[in-house]
Amino acid sequence: MLGRFLIIDLLLNPDCQKQGFVSTMVTKGKVLILEFRNWLLDQPEGETLLRCYQYGRCTSACPVADIEPSFNPRLFLQKILLSDELIAEEQLVWNCLTCEQCEVHCPEMVKIPHILILAKVRGLMAGNVPAAALDRAKTIVSQGRSLPVSPPMLKTREKMGLPDLGTPPMDQIVAMLADIGIVSKLEKVESVYGGSEDE
Amino acid sequence: MSKARKYTYFPGCMIPYRLPHFELTMTEVLKKLGVELETTPDHSCCPEPTTFTGVDFEAWVTIAARNVAVSEAIGNDTMAMCSGCFHTLAVANHMVHEDEELKERINKRLKASGLEVTGSHEVKNVLHVLRNDIGLDAIEKIVTNPLKKLRIAPHYGCHLVRPLEATNMDHADDPQWMDEVIRATGAEIAEFENKMACCGAPIMPSGEDKAVTITSKHLKNIKASGADAIVVVCPTCYTQLETQQAKAEAISDSEFRIPVLYLGELLALSMGLTDLVTANQRRYHRVKITELLEKAGGAS
Amino acid sequence: MAKSAVVIGAGLSGIQVAQQLTDLGVTVHLIEKEAIIGGLSTYLGRVFPTGDCALCLDASGELFDGQHRRCQYRGLVTEKKNLKLYTQSEVKSITEEEGGFKVSIKSNPRHVDLDRCVVCLECIEVCDVEVPSTYCVRGGIRKAIYRPIPQGVPLAPLIDMENCTKCGKCVDICKVNAIDFEEKSSTKTIKADALILATGVEEKIPLDFPGYEYRTCDDILTHAELARLIDPAGDTNGVVTTSAGDAVSKVTMVLCVGSRDLTAYEYCSQACCTYSLKHAEMLRDLGIDVTICYMDLRVPKSSEHYLTQAREKGVKFLRGKPDKVVARDGKPVTIVEDTQSQKLMQIESDLVVLASPLASLGIEDASLNGFFAENGFAHRVVREGKVYACGTATGPTDIPTSIAEANAIALKVYSDLTGGV
Repeated sequence: MLGRFLIIDLLLNPDCQKQGFVSTMVTKGKVLILEFRNWLLDQPEGETLLRCYQYGRCTSACPVADIEPSFNPRLFLQKILLSDELIAEEQLVWNCLTCEQCEVHCPEMVKIPHILILAKVRGLMAGNVPAAALDRAKTIVSQGRSLPVSPPMLKTREKMGLPDLGTPPMDQIVAMLADIGIVSKLEKVESVYGGSEDE
Repeated sequence: MSKARKYTYFPGCMIPYRLPHFELTMTEVLKKLGVELETTPDHSCCPEPTTFTGVDFEAWVTIAARNVAVSEAIGNDTMAMCSGCFHTLAVANHMVHEDEELKERINKRLKASGLEVTGSHEVKNVLHVLRNDIGLDAIEKIVTNPLKKLRIAPHYGCHLVRPLEATNMDHADDPQWMDEVIRATGAEIAEFENKMACCGAPIMPSGEDKAVTITSKHLKNIKASGADAIVVVCPTCYTQLETQQAKAEAISDSEFRIPVLYLGELLALSMGLTDLVTANQRRYHRVKITELLEKAGGAS
Repeated sequence: MAKSAVVIGAGLSGIQVAQQLTDLGVTVHLIEKEAIIGGLSTYLGRVFPTGDCALCLDASGELFDGQHRRCQYRGLVTEKKNLKLYTQSEVKSITEEEGGFKVSIKSNPRHVDLDRCVVCLECIEVCDVEVPSTYCVRGGIRKAIYRPIPQGVPLAPLIDMENCTKCGKCVDICKVNAIDFEEKSSTKTIKADALILATGVEEKIPLDFPGYEYRTCDDILTHAELARLIDPAGDTNGVVTTSAGDAVSKVTMVLCVGSRDLTAYEYCSQACCTYSLKHAEMLRDLGIDVTICYMDLRVPKSSEHYLTQAREKGVKFLRGKPDKVVARDGKPVTIVEDTQSQKLMQIESDLVVLASPLASLGIEDASLNGFFAENGFAHRVVREGKVYACGTATGPTDIPTSIAEANAIALKVYSDLTGGV
């Protein structure tokens, strides 16, 4: 588990200076690089995080915040701005509906659900992923579908006169994801909280 | 009208393999409106946007962009029936359009399969096709059974409409296109509070109680409007509002009993394709729609 | 030959620039679309930084002259020989020619002759028609023959022909024969060497800003409306009530509604933090509880005392931007996260006041096409020697700045037209 800040000697890792998003703090003579925050800012569409002024309209717009006091989008963003690595392991981030009500009303058009998604990605290897989501991801990268395709269902389709949709070329798809290493990642991950697919 | 419009139909997983009555009704309705749908076995799961994004975003956008690239190679505009699929493909397409580095990384991965994504593909949902491409006039013209007695609550769902810069829909807080299509069938719109409220489904895996509480609040608002039925476009919203309606009733200690129809079913009822709906009603509608069908009239 | 200028808009800066130019010997044609001069100031009651009446152009002694009070009411505008005032008039077209402009204006009939009327006001007394007044927030009325506000210049009443029944009672009672039902609109073409845009701003009614139920709840107000409610000259005599007529004990104010918002108006409207604090203080003096929900508090140096006094008088400050104000059981409820305590609040109050954007009026006018930039505002010198702008037409700002700008532009115009001071 990563500590609150990643302490790295700047001289040994010059390539931490990416794209001008390097934030550093100097405490007790040690240089702290705000790695989580910098990583997130580097991801596609991650840079909108910096527009956040902490107004809080997101929290008052959020349907989950309305029923769960500890779910506070503004506070999550604040922690990410301060590079709090623990947010990546916060199970609450998976309670985001991705409804984008916050984003639509944010005066700075910060891509809030997307930023929480990036936090989830960051916490995958630590097990911060619902078991059902993990199962579904494994099905997608192995069978190319998000749910099992049953023979009775194929028959129903036939009876309805609907086309045969075949099966996608999984070798091609898995091969193209090689540099991301998703298959091996999914094999290693163990979800820290249960919940089976309820469909 | 001249020759049929062709779209590459992106089926996804939930509609063809869980709720095929969606595909059946919409395909036949579109056929009547002169639209042909073509499929390809090269499309995979979009991938599902509510959880896979949080597992690995880069993998998600790559698989999504690959699906767009497959469509681009075919050439026709793509129509995704499922809101989740539509959202995924539209967002991937938009991101590739805006982010050169992302586009490069993805195309590098696609190279081996001979595919390429440009970021300028037309990804559409059923409302783009029905309301913009086909047009409300054309729909009204083939309505043989105006659904004058029905008051419908349109549930757009979040992923169909947002984010606006990727979906090219009309308005993020107060969209009107589904309202317009529903009115074209002769039905009336039942206005309810919080039009763009989320159905709650995305957090079923991580917080079922919270999800169902959110669902029940939304159903309460719709019930208060006196609507005869809810019409949806998204299969996940359908599952949450229809198949799981009993859960919402349990958690809020209320009775809803609000029928939920897929847009294709509503359109089918208005244009002499009622059989398509009645043939599947027992299997796919836990909340009985017999009364609704009577009100709709026009047995074909 | 004397130089001439057309000033479009007789709000505070339009009046000031017109007066300064006439003092300098320039002939000024002052065009105003309303029946009275003053623009936005006619709604505001007492204004910051001095707390003087908004109709006063010279209150802020520390910033300029301050030797004499110049209320719009005290007749400088209608009594100068080389200042021609046209009220109820709009610019129809502007054409450039031989080093100057031809400005074509259309004037709607007042139906009351300004040269004859002695302002006895008996016509208003006898009129039977009652119409809701735009200056009244709680259903106050005016007659078909009326004066928008008592201090409005010109002082003579006007007739609203759409509601007038032409019963003739006013004609009969008028001892100076000033009333003419048949008066028609007139057009006039004015030649001028320069144009000055003083078209100002309006407080944007928050009809289309999602979440704030301004349209459906009469207890959700804008600041101009609140100002009328507090004004002792308003229809409630300064008593702040709900739309149902009940006493108000709690008010919630929301700042930046639709301002500093990439999805609405991107810019800061400059004056709203201060006038919100001004109103908050006035409400506290009436014994009313006030909570201000803010993103930031932007108060210029000269108005810092409004913030200090607001705090001293117990105005509550909540840092957080509400997502919505909804009506529940007839009362407005503000839903906001208090970002300092991290608590999601549902604040019930009797009234909610929204600080909405100050939006450019000039950009709406087709005949002024090309003078305004994309953000809706004009540069002070739109075209050297030809077209200028002052007041909030150049951007939202407070009254002292508008007056100072008007003074500066007057001197610049004079200098450009005559080749030097």
